[in-house]
Amino acid sequence: MVSPIYIIAVLLGIAFLLGLFKQPGANFVRFAAIITLAFPVFVSVGWLIHFIIDPTEPFMVYTAGALPPFSINLKMGLEEAFMTSAVNVLGFFGFIYLYKTLKAQGEKAVVLFLVLIMGLNVVIMTRDIFNLFVFLEISSIALIGMIFLKRDLNSFSAGFKYLIAVTVISSFLLIGIGFIYYLGGTLNIDDFIAKNNGLTRGLSTAVFLVLIAVLLELKPFPANGWALDVYQAAHPGINAIISAGTATAALFAVYKLLPFGGDLWLNIAVIIGLITFLGSNFLGISQKNANRLLGYSSIGQIGLLLAVMGFSKHLGEHFQMVFFALFISHFLAKAGLFWLSGLIAKDEIKDWAVLRKKPYLLFLFGLFVFTLIGFPPFPSFYGKWQLVMDLASNYNYWWIGLILLGSIFEGVYLFRWLGYAMKLEPEEGSSIKPDWEKIIPIAVFGLLIFLASYFTNRIFPTSFNINLIPVYFILFLFVIDFLPAYIKNTIAIAGMGYYAFYIYPGIEQDTLRLVFAGIFLLGGILTMFAGYSVKGRRPGFFPFAIMMYAGLIGLVEAENLFQFFFSWELMTLGSYILIIRGKKSILHAYNYMLFSLGGAYMIFLGIALAYNGHTSISLEMLQTASFPGWAYTLLAIGFLTKTAALGLHIWLPGAHAEAESDVSPMVSGILLKGGVFGLLVLFMAMGGEQAGQHPLLYALGWLGAITALGGNLMAVFQEDAKRLLAYSSVGNLGYILFAFAFMTNIGWLTGLTYSINHFLFKTLLFLAIGGVVWRVKTHNMYEMGGLIKRMPWSFIAVLIGIITLAGIPPLSGYAGKWLFYNAVITKGWYFQGAIVFFAGTIAFLYCFKLIYSVFLGQPKDKFRKVKEAPIWYLIPQFILIIGIMVFSARPDLILKPIGDLLSQSTYFPTDPLSWENVTASTNLGYWSGYKIMLVIGGMFVVLLLWLVVMSRKAKSVKQFNMVYAGERPFTPETTHYSHNMFAPFNKALGFLTTPVVTSFWNGVNDTSHAFADSFRKIYTGNGQTYIAHILAYIVIVYLILL
Amino acid sequence: MKYFSVEYISIFAGFILLLIGLWGIISQKNILKIIISFSIIDTSIHLILVSIGYIKNRTAPIIDGPVTRADAAQQVTDPIPQALVLTAIVIGVGITALMLSYALKLYEKNKSLEIDKYKSLKW
Repeated sequence: MVSPIYIIAVLLGIAFLLGLFKQPGANFVRFAAIITLAFPVFVSVGWLIHFIIDPTEPFMVYTAGALPPFSINLKMGLEEAFMTSAVNVLGFFGFIYLYKTLKAQGEKAVVLFLVLIMGLNVVIMTRDIFNLFVFLEISSIALIGMIFLKRDLNSFSAGFKYLIAVTVISSFLLIGIGFIYYLGGTLNIDDFIAKNNGLTRGLSTAVFLVLIAVLLELKPFPANGWALDVYQAAHPGINAIISAGTATAALFAVYKLLPFGGDLWLNIAVIIGLITFLGSNFLGISQKNANRLLGYSSIGQIGLLLAVMGFSKHLGEHFQMVFFALFISHFLAKAGLFWLSGLIAKDEIKDWAVLRKKPYLLFLFGLFVFTLIGFPPFPSFYGKWQLVMDLASNYNYWWIGLILLGSIFEGVYLFRWLGYAMKLEPEEGSSIKPDWEKIIPIAVFGLLIFLASYFTNRIFPTSFNINLIPVYFILFLFVIDFLPAYIKNTIAIAGMGYYAFYIYPGIEQDTLRLVFAGIFLLGGILTMFAGYSVKGRRPGFFPFAIMMYAGLIGLVEAENLFQFFFSWELMTLGSYILIIRGKKSILHAYNYMLFSLGGAYMIFLGIALAYNGHTSISLEMLQTASFPGWAYTLLAIGFLTKTAALGLHIWLPGAHAEAESDVSPMVSGILLKGGVFGLLVLFMAMGGEQAGQHPLLYALGWLGAITALGGNLMAVFQEDAKRLLAYSSVGNLGYILFAFAFMTNIGWLTGLTYSINHFLFKTLLFLAIGGVVWRVKTHNMYEMGGLIKRMPWSFIAVLIGIITLAGIPPLSGYAGKWLFYNAVITKGWYFQGAIVFFAGTIAFLYCFKLIYSVFLGQPKDKFRKVKEAPIWYLIPQFILIIGIMVFSARPDLILKPIGDLLSQSTYFPTDPLSWENVTASTNLGYWSGYKIMLVIGGMFVVLLLWLVVMSRKAKSVKQFNMVYAGERPFTPETTHYSHNMFAPFNKALGFLTTPVVTSFWNGVNDTSHAFADSFRKIYTGNGQTYIAHILAYIVIVYLILL
Repeated sequence: MKYFSVEYISIFAGFILLLIGLWGIISQKNILKIIISFSIIDTSIHLILVSIGYIKNRTAPIIDGPVTRADAAQQVTDPIPQALVLTAIVIGVGITALMLSYALKLYEKNKSLEIDKYKSLKW
């Protein structure tokens, strides 16, 4: 191993030598610098590998021929090796990124860069506190010198503010060091910690000065305006170094010095860190300048890492893993984001739309965002999980709440930004210059994220049994994204088919899981068929579709809560990207993501609460949850965000309606069942039948009933066919929630029947309407009409769909109804049941509207030549119709095993339902799907024949204009029969559909933005105000500590 | 009367200077005056550091002539704070130079040395 002292020697020596060259911008200087910067990478990464393979004692470098504390010593252990490797890799690629910029700035800038990297290395390695001070100053001077070299007014003023702020901070550091030496008798860090266990009053003030100064170097909120200004003004290449390099070194300095202050300062680190994480992310939500926003985000992340250090006692042996996972995510993603910002070379976050012209850069942007927020399979996901679980074991619920709240604020701005990049139209004439030297570092850091993810997965104790096969399959689909869509579609379907075989033996016995696995996988395959009608490559579609399905099937497979949450987040990530692909989906996908994020954190917090006092994270653990009231409520709210219960539903209509034609059935018919499955897992944990009187269930029953009514009512007044179906889903999920909340055997059977039905008919209807929309290019029903002759097959599909939906015999919707009435009567929830019944009648209205306005009546001129929906839409529809028919005629095939499973389980031993072949009977009566099918089918055939016979002499009528003389319609549609079809109902009941919920969430949004906007005015831009903040911060923390 | 001895007076003076410097950095609008305030802070810290290393009735920690290697420990003041101050002075010079070059460039760009004029970056 090369001694780390050579890092200093080589960097400093070459920097001096290069300073001697006189020709400005000589290529030789920069070339030599690259070689030089490769050297510390070689040294530190060598040490890192050495320590990973063989975790021996740290290596010490002694100087000046004396042992510490009489001389300065450097330490190279695992932690130092990792941190220096990070800084040096960043230095190497950061230099490549700045290659051309540095040419313009001359050889002085190159020298400063080398000195900066050298300084950061020493800050990490040194064990001498004064030496630490010196190299902090050296790296600050080098950094500020580099800011100076951008030579515009903004960087001059920002650099100057930064300079005076850093100077004031280091003055306090120096005074503190002086007194540490005076009172503690040593400058050596280890020596001081060994000698001074209890701090005397004087010494604690000295320690205060040192620690508050190094903490201020981390730019804690709100004493950080000076740093934000630099982030906004400096070159993004420099910002990457500040955010990922300087902050790394300063963080490690804090890590070394924190033991000075004992437990008290660990708590202070937590408080300062979390205030920073929360405050910084909160102010970020109303920030529009990209670099400044990244500054807010950087400072927030560093705050979180600081808090993790403070939590080190709680984390125990997990500390290194958690810190590594969160740190590496911040490090790689933030450097990458700043570098991307340099490629775009514009200020506003809206300007990032230009990334659409370079999809691989857009991919990297998304990668960085998801890494920062902590989605699986990226490292920060594991880190946050372990952090929260360990905090929960120690009753730190408020801290967990703050961490999750801060993460939501982070999501608010990061996903808005990602949405802009994916969906906004790039400005005319804007483009990205593909400079290889800038793209290579970004791509390398993107790859490193995957490497780090793999490594994190290996070292985390909770992740040993995560099934990574789907993740690899998704990665494979990314790799083959250049192939035409039909090939990828086939591969995706084959993959899902294979997976169905793969997991079948494992869940064969568990009928409940089998049903959901069937919905997710077979349903998934069906909906993928529609994708064959898409020409071209369809870039970026398949990996995310498979990601969503992988998440869904993962929920079914999950044996413990970590797997469950992992899959839950994977599903969210995939479905978010699918939804945002729609043309007008930018806002809806954003809403979806925010609600999902909030819901996921509720689930997370619920799991954490339940986990207290347990050692196992298996699903069964929830049965003996600690704080059951809170935990179950949080979990329920979390799952309800996905099933779009009233109050949490506002994302759904837009997200489902504006999605691409074949995505709507995926996210409506299938994705919603993910939330349902979550609810089932929760309800089982609550104890099945015995929990029947739980107040939470009573509340959920009411919520289900009201959701059913509200959803259906809103569906009635829609003009947009897909929106109508989307609102109808809200209502249908209300039924499902209501049925499951009974917590009786038959209630669950009803719920499952509803779930299967909803999957069948909603997928069918969305595919059918999607096929129609594919041809007519509009969602508005009043612009369609008379399509029955042009699209007879679609008509039949919609007809079957709405018969099932409305619960009309003989189709399976009626099975649900029959079970439902049994369940209501057994349970005795008559009032709620009446509401649901009423909601069911409202469903007739929109079903009628759907088929009437689209297929019946007079065709529009422009659609006289329109063709039948694409065959790839029709095939899955008719497979679904076969499914509906089978389920209607032989419901016992599915319901009997489920009923058996339920009554044999410990959850629902009371089984009021008995099967005799196809006939089900309870105390209240009997029902046979098969007989009903025969009777109604017979009646249908007779009537049809009768009609055919009777209408032989009927004549077809010519279309004529319906507008009467004297009427002056301003838009032609106002006289269309299906426009505002149910106006009288609207007058009577329309007040119930007042968008109260939407206004409420808008209010939340506006208020928080207004608060953030007014609070960030504390960053006045005046350097002196920033200094005053720093001084006030020091005084306030001191007073609190007194 | 121990508080009137040189080490107490100097450390007291050091803190007074520190406060004056901090006050100057916050209150003075002129960038050059801010830089001068910084220099005052810098000096105050040097004064404080030297004072805490001072031991009464001893001489400078330089081994030559009157102070021999053998009895240095009994004759000289603590050398470490003095070494620290030497280093700190060097750093202070570097920072002052950097501040002055910033002041120069700011003035070249905007013809003003009022710090209030440089607030375009904010929020």
